[in-house]
Amino acid sequence: MSSPRKVVELFYDVVSPYSWLAFEVLCRYRNVWNIDLKFKPAFLGGVMQGSGNRPPGMIPNKFYYMNTDLKRLSEYFVVPLNPPLNPVEAMFEKGSLNAMRFVTAVAEKNKEGDGPVERVSRELWKRIWSTDQDITQPASFIEAGLKAGLSANEVEEFLTLAKSQPMKDKLKSATQEVLDYRGFGFPCIVCHVNGKAEVFFGSDRFELMAHCIGEKWVGPQPLKPTAKM
Amino acid sequence: MISSGKVVKLYYDVASPYSWLAFEVLFRYRNVWNIDLKLKPAYLGGVKHGSGNQPPAFIPNKMQYMASDLKLLSEYFGVPMFKPSKLYETDSLFPMRFVTAVAEQHKEGDGLVERVSRELWKRMWRTHQDITQPASFIEAGLKAGLSTNEVEEILTLAKSQPIKDKLKSVTKEALEFKCFGLPFIVCHVNGKAEVFFGSDRFELMAYFIREKWMGPQPTNLTATM
Repeated sequence: MSSPRKVVELFYDVVSPYSWLAFEVLCRYRNVWNIDLKFKPAFLGGVMQGSGNRPPGMIPNKFYYMNTDLKRLSEYFVVPLNPPLNPVEAMFEKGSLNAMRFVTAVAEKNKEGDGPVERVSRELWKRIWSTDQDITQPASFIEAGLKAGLSANEVEEFLTLAKSQPMKDKLKSATQEVLDYRGFGFPCIVCHVNGKAEVFFGSDRFELMAHCIGEKWVGPQPLKPTAKM
Repeated sequence: MISSGKVVKLYYDVASPYSWLAFEVLFRYRNVWNIDLKLKPAYLGGVKHGSGNQPPAFIPNKMQYMASDLKLLSEYFGVPMFKPSKLYETDSLFPMRFVTAVAEQHKEGDGLVERVSRELWKRMWRTHQDITQPASFIEAGLKAGLSTNEVEEILTLAKSQPIKDKLKSVTKEALEFKCFGLPFIVCHVNGKAEVFFGSDRFELMAYFIREKWMGPQPTNLTATM
């Protein structure tokens, strides 16, 4: 009998570019590693507020570094990251509350399989972090939903559900889960191994994480035969 | 032998545990990768002040995360260390002046800067001893292989204006690369400077300097990588 899959929870917000990197890596590894990957849409603004942290980009040198870092990581991880023209507006003024409520609604209605959540999340990331498009208006969620393969009816249903109190509460509770793990930013990955929860912050702990869960890290493209590793 | 020209500068402070990890990794790789490693003792307090950044552990959740992160990393990297309880009561200005003075007296690359830095890290991050008093520098210096005379000389030099200025200027160099924390690694490849912050960018750094990352213990072939 094969050993049980190790539960790996990815807490993320589409406003976070490093979350996109972590997301794509974990999607690539979900059939390579013996893991049970669980997507946990949550709200970065809530985590920042609850932990007393500030967005890294508020420090000018960090902001400058992040731009260089993301460009290089985009190439190495093969994820088409392109910072929006006005990142401050996109990340801090417009934010991601509506977007993450929408993703939460999709997750709620697709409990047996997370294909829709994966695809909708990816389409939203592509909008804000690749093609510099809005992720706050209903029209944006309709476009993203349709691109993700949802029907027009389904999208309308999720749009309505996203505004409901249960979904607002669901997002709040996922965000609280991160704070309960003493999270302070995204991506926040929680691996459950041998009854213990190991928490990893960022998209740069995969090598260490693999070591901790008894798997092998072979770089961000495990299925590519000529991978750099 | 003509070097390939891949200069790798490590800006570090012994108050920074992640700097210790980066330091040990780079020393392990200096004969594996075709690099010319240059140590740049700097002052973390000056970097924070100059960039407007805060120490990570001002955020309680970050502080707690750092403790468990360092526990896992120290084991994985093979660099045993434990967070001291009075982390933020240690100002590293004096130890980094001492290291700067060692670097000034030992320019020929005889390993003294490496050994003194390591002894100071061990004091602060392993045995939880002081690193701010002259007696501490004497102990660390002797352990690193300096003679008593040499240590006394360096202790005096460390208090001099030129050494204070030297540490300030190296710290300013890091800030000119838009540094906001340590460790800060600057790789010069094909006339371009690539900067990397932290001890978690080695895989990416290797890709950009056209080398192969084999994990934090490259000569230990039974390592997880």
